[in-house]
Amino acid sequence: MLVLTRHPNQSIMIGSDVIITVLEVRGDQVRIGIKAPRSVEVHREEVWAQLQKANRDAAVAPDAAALGALGGVKKPTADAATSKPTIGDSKPAT
Amino acid sequence: MTPAPAVEDIVTSTPVLNFSLGLPGFPDVRRFAISELAPDSPFSVMKCVDTELEFIVTSPAFFFPDYAPDIDDAVIMRLGIERPEQALVMVIVNVAASLADTTANLLGPIIANVDTWEAAQAVLATGDWSVKTPLNIS
Repeated sequence: MLVLTRHPNQSIMIGSDVIITVLEVRGDQVRIGIKAPRSVEVHREEVWAQLQKANRDAAVAPDAAALGALGGVKKPTADAATSKPTIGDSKPAT
Repeated sequence: MTPAPAVEDIVTSTPVLNFSLGLPGFPDVRRFAISELAPDSPFSVMKCVDTELEFIVTSPAFFFPDYAPDIDDAVIMRLGIERPEQALVMVIVNVAASLADTTANLLGPIIANVDTWEAAQAVLATGDWSVKTPLNIS
């Protein structure tokens, strides 16, 4: 792993278009700003790890009885509201 | 206005979704076919075409009418989604021995472009969504 020492307001560039800036160091917390193209996804690592675990858990073959019970559930009769993703500028503030 | 597509509307055509980047935890899987679990069921089966991997999925609208995922632009761009009606949203269900313990992953919804079937699992950076949200089936 490359290790660099930075002061607040100093940055690191990754490639030519990702800039990571140390904004503030307070106690044991560091505030970091990330400037990246809209096509680059930025995640907290622990959130990604949580999703990996959730997928592995959900992929475990459920026992037939559980699946059978699930198969017996009918669509809720209430008119299901439409759930739409928001398409637009959703990049978290950097 | 054209309503957003829902998984129960597309199961009859058993489309094959292509996750070009795989899924978190399963980076090497790509192609998943969608089919219905049972007639009139709100649940669908998302089965890998190339392996034994299988997930149960559902439309969030059935159980979480207030769910409004804010999908990262990067995902929308990568999937080539230009209009809301192109975006199919599903959530993965974690099937437990009892229905009361069955949950859905609202933190990582699956988004698919219904014109190309390019798909991805998004990671929601905003909102307080849980990977294990109870379905509250009575």
